[in-house]
Amino acid sequence: MEIGYSDSRLNRDKRKILVIEDEIINRMILENILRETYDVVFAETGAQGLEILNEQFRTLSLVLLDLNLPDMYGVDILRQIKADAVTAVLPFIVMTADQEAEVQCLNLGATDFIAKPYPKPEVVLARILRTIELFEGRDLLRWTERDQLTGLYNPEFFFRYAAQFDDRHPDIPTDALLLDVNRFHILNERYGKAFGDEALRHIADKLRKTLNDAGGIVGRRGADAFLAYCPHRSDYADLLRQINDGIEKDYHARVRMGVYPNADRGIDMERRFARAKQAADKVKSSFSGAVGVYDAALYDKESFNEQLLEDFAAAIREEQFTVYFQPKFDIRSEKPRLCSAEALVRWNHPRLGIVSPGIFIPLFEENGLIREMDSYIWEKTARQIRSWREQFGWTIPVSVNVSRIDLSDPLLPKLLEKVVDKAGIPQAAFLLEITESAYTDDAEQIVGMAKALRESGFRIEMDDFGTGYSSLNMITTLPIDTLKLDMQFVRTAFRDKKDMRLIEAVVSLAHSLGLATVAEGVETEEQLQALKALGCDIVQGYYFSKPLPPEEFEAFVRLHKDTEV
Amino acid sequence: MLTMDALRRFGANTEEGLGRCLNDEGFYLELVNMVLGDAGFEKLAAALEGKDWQAAFEAAHSLKGSLGNLALTPIYAPTSELTERLRGGREADYAALLTEILSRRDALLALREG
Repeated sequence: MEIGYSDSRLNRDKRKILVIEDEIINRMILENILRETYDVVFAETGAQGLEILNEQFRTLSLVLLDLNLPDMYGVDILRQIKADAVTAVLPFIVMTADQEAEVQCLNLGATDFIAKPYPKPEVVLARILRTIELFEGRDLLRWTERDQLTGLYNPEFFFRYAAQFDDRHPDIPTDALLLDVNRFHILNERYGKAFGDEALRHIADKLRKTLNDAGGIVGRRGADAFLAYCPHRSDYADLLRQINDGIEKDYHARVRMGVYPNADRGIDMERRFARAKQAADKVKSSFSGAVGVYDAALYDKESFNEQLLEDFAAAIREEQFTVYFQPKFDIRSEKPRLCSAEALVRWNHPRLGIVSPGIFIPLFEENGLIREMDSYIWEKTARQIRSWREQFGWTIPVSVNVSRIDLSDPLLPKLLEKVVDKAGIPQAAFLLEITESAYTDDAEQIVGMAKALRESGFRIEMDDFGTGYSSLNMITTLPIDTLKLDMQFVRTAFRDKKDMRLIEAVVSLAHSLGLATVAEGVETEEQLQALKALGCDIVQGYYFSKPLPPEEFEAFVRLHKDTEV
Repeated sequence: MLTMDALRRFGANTEEGLGRCLNDEGFYLELVNMVLGDAGFEKLAAALEGKDWQAAFEAAHSLKGSLGNLALTPIYAPTSELTERLRGGREADYAALLTEILSRRDALLALREG
């Protein structure tokens, strides 16, 4: 008789029933009746039954319990299960020929009885189904609650059980923990997915053991993050050391931890763990003793971000976002010539004043609001280009940002065509800046999208080159028109003279691929001359002008149009 | 070899027993064969011999469960009665019931061999 189960055997479409019965003939009769409809797990003794219950109770739909077992009485098993708050929710059907025991079992919380000798199979099945359905109204879909790889709870059920913990222990303060494997993607890339999976399983086991001992529950979220909910403790350094012990040596991996201590029960579970995540992100680059704690500073930041998200709709409605334009100069000829501009968003918040895009753009990217904001900026910019054409008789090309989220929309080329058509400007006047890091998300998809956009007549500038994992592969496979050197990359190069050679190399590589180069962040005459000498085509920066509101940009154009600086 | 007919003649409620086996005759007969070889009969006899009433009760109770489910009424009825009598754990003369149980088991075994 098989005891227990392995995940691979588990048929996920069937509910699972544990039968605790010592007589083989009875087990065989029951198995024959049940196996069509259910996954059946058997225990021959009370001890085995309890073991399986403790390990698998979350995936069980029902327990059929024989009262006379060789090692212990069924009523004692029932008593133990009902005393444990978590297992107490399982429905039990007691199998007995003894009517006195029935009363005792009812008092202990048994849900139903099946007499011995067994009634007709249809009756057995009907009673079981009715009991399961009765209980599932309260506790749905147990069999999908585990993550396949690690056997830990998936987030949905993890949150459910964490909430259950709160309900049952209203007076025990708890901590929300988020554990993240440092640089897991590198592990996967370097040693292969099978190794990565094995590492995750091992880490999951370690977490389960360590945190269950601490009285907590553990779940898995996303590829390489784990959630835990534990009774409060003041220090997690030892616990994290225990977890990391061995993992580091065997799997070249290290786990960092974010703690949101004494989690506020007034806020929802998701949010408690979002706080733990912020705490974990605080120690992202730390190598030792990596426990981050959610504190007042993080709270302030979170409140501020929330404020911004809340204010987004009003900001669009009341046109609080304004577009600034930073002039770009062509420096190939003797004298620099105003050739185009970059559209940059500013948020003029009614209470907070000017909010830096460095704060709200990453926030909106995370929340998907960036698409709405980008569309808004594109339309404003297109109308502005049109208006200047009427004013100056010159179509000034302007580059706009296209975030990585926009790029995943297959309808993006159509959307952008509509924007330029509506404003009555040519595609060539709309330069699309896509960020370098988008390429690392999904290279194939980005390449396809860039091709489609160029076929629609748009020109593409690769923004922020030199900041992230710049790869030569990217600039040779991605169909772009211009390479834009990141401001920080340019500044660092000037500060540390030997890096000038790096700029020179990038510029000459770009030229050999037929790409134009734009340098951002140019502040001095010296820098301008150096970039010119290196063969850079276009520059922008405070040396010429900071980003300007439309009316000031107009004045700037009047001053520089057709004249050389 | 045991047949459904032989079991019926023996006095088993084959309709009921077979019903529990989803009317699978082969499966039912297999289980009947199993219970005939059940060491519980010998355990029961030894426990009664040694006046270990608790062990005797447990053995009788277990047998009763299997016999009942297979509806082997001629063996089930005395086993059931013995179980109830042993429940209190009192000393009494159980020899007649034991003899009845074993002789009927043996009769069925003889049917199988014959």
